[in-house]
Amino acid sequence: MNPSWLHLVLKEFRRRPVRSAVTLLGIAVAVAALASLLAFERGYRRGLASELERLGAHVLVVPKGCPFDAASIALHGANWPCYLRESYLKEVRSVPDVAMAAPALMQATPQADGSSMVVVGVTPEMLGLKTGWKLDGRFPQEGREILVGSGVSRRQAWRLGDQVEVPGLSGRWSVAGILDPTGGADDGFVFLPLEEAQRVLGREGVLTHILVKLRDPEALDGAVGRLRGCNAGMDMNIVPLTHLFRTIQGMIRSTRTWLVAVGLMALVAAITGVCNAVLMALSERTREVGVLRAMGASPGDVFRLFWLETLLNCVVGTALGLFAAASVSRVVESWLRSQLPFTPTDPLVRMGPDIIGLCMVGALCLGSLAGVLPAWRASRLSPQEAIRTPAGR
Amino acid sequence: MNPMPDPSSSNPVLIAAQGLSKSYRRGRESVMALHGVSFEILRGEFVAITGPSGSGKTTLLNLLGAMDSPSSGSLLIDGEDVGSLTEAGRTLLRRHHVGFVFQHFGLVPTLTVAENIGLPSLFARRPDPARVSELVRVVGLEHRQGHYPSELSGGEMQRTAIARALMNRPSLLLADEPTGNLDSVTGESILEVFRQLNLGGLTLVVVTHNESLAAAAGRRIELKDGQLRVDSASAGSRG
Repeated sequence: MNPSWLHLVLKEFRRRPVRSAVTLLGIAVAVAALASLLAFERGYRRGLASELERLGAHVLVVPKGCPFDAASIALHGANWPCYLRESYLKEVRSVPDVAMAAPALMQATPQADGSSMVVVGVTPEMLGLKTGWKLDGRFPQEGREILVGSGVSRRQAWRLGDQVEVPGLSGRWSVAGILDPTGGADDGFVFLPLEEAQRVLGREGVLTHILVKLRDPEALDGAVGRLRGCNAGMDMNIVPLTHLFRTIQGMIRSTRTWLVAVGLMALVAAITGVCNAVLMALSERTREVGVLRAMGASPGDVFRLFWLETLLNCVVGTALGLFAAASVSRVVESWLRSQLPFTPTDPLVRMGPDIIGLCMVGALCLGSLAGVLPAWRASRLSPQEAIRTPAGR
Repeated sequence: MNPMPDPSSSNPVLIAAQGLSKSYRRGRESVMALHGVSFEILRGEFVAITGPSGSGKTTLLNLLGAMDSPSSGSLLIDGEDVGSLTEAGRTLLRRHHVGFVFQHFGLVPTLTVAENIGLPSLFARRPDPARVSELVRVVGLEHRQGHYPSELSGGEMQRTAIARALMNRPSLLLADEPTGNLDSVTGESILEVFRQLNLGGLTLVVVTHNESLAAAAGRRIELKDGQLRVDSASAGSRG
């Protein structure tokens, strides 16, 4: 029955519910946009780093064409529009900077549910690159053996030693090994010996890509130059992955900087809107302020009341915005995946306590500042003049 | 009905005004709203301030309620010299010694009856739910305490405002046209509340045009053009 300050401020939402809702909506939208942008930037950066680490290679050798498309196909699995001659492998290996070169032949077969079964022909050198791989069983050694990713194993209910039919490949295949979950695209791949893959896919003598590990990753530029300078250099696209990822990240970062600036401006505009809404409320409640002063409210009490009102608007709006950002993150993620030329397999939008905290603190700071003007004006009202003000002004 | 204030002071004079004047600036002009008014109000008196519009009634009420400070002269309320008080001092005086009732009720529309009554205790930093319950009962609004002002009749709103004015146990209740927005029957019921509060020992000063309310007061102070025209106490009717 004795109202508290918070109670008093919370009840103000009752007075003009539509205006309160619109004010909160403005903040919520701005905060949701800002939080999503920050979460995306972090998700993308971490995703790229994980992708690079999981790949275990410094350079990707692909047929001529767009390096971004090639990297995306090699990393996530799809059909290749053209091929490398297998003979190029020898030339790549002959470059002194190359510590290891693992050839691959990839093919994706569409399935009834709309997904693709990606099969990759590889050699045991792949194990030297993928140092993070953990296998249940062993790497395929004989003709009709396969190594399956954890995702494939789970979806198809394939167990170690099972004889299975692989979509896109003829005949039956023996599951020689199952990969532990890697968190990357490898979980959705089926690996088989390269020669066998070339034979059953009818692609003898060709490869789709070569993963290259360098002796000294710091000497990437020199190594790339020498690879481009080898005999087959004109027929291959040498993609330095670190540079490629850095370029992608740079593109995203420059876009992000612009978008975050827009998000911040939206937030400032929304909080200015709150300030304006509270100023309007003050002009409508001038007489009420006079009554509060008459019953013993000090100028500090009036300041507190209006300042808390602005602050509460900002806090509630921010909480709604963060909730909205978390709720629609999947939608945002799938939209981003459809828009960006290259996306890591890891989650693209990573909301975390630090982003939530940053948005809360930012909104609190801006809200505190925005609340000063209406609160100060309210506290400066002369009580006897305020009481004489007509109601609703 | 128990008015509940506890006038602990031994001084029977609650208000002492001596040569009280108040002038305002209106543009380049100086307007003398109150000019050399002197009177005393004893504890437990029921005083009506009357006079035509613009006679200085509300200005006097604002001074008595420490909403403003006099331009000249002296005004002592419960021993405190209003003229020498700072803004903070006047706030404290209002908070602990004065209760206000307005013609427009001045209820906070987003708060219930009980919350409105308890509001002054928030500013006094003395929450007292028992006191709220007591006051709800005193003004006969037990069945309405959870209702909002928009759900109340004019009489109920004014009763709520009176209960709110009593929350911090003031020694002085000031009312500015308390029946001005009420029909005559409701006005009578409010007058009865004032009468009961005064019988309980509360000092009441009411600005009114309502003759029956003025007649119910034990004393009438009549102003005209900012000057005291009639003080019935001087005519020997103080009581």
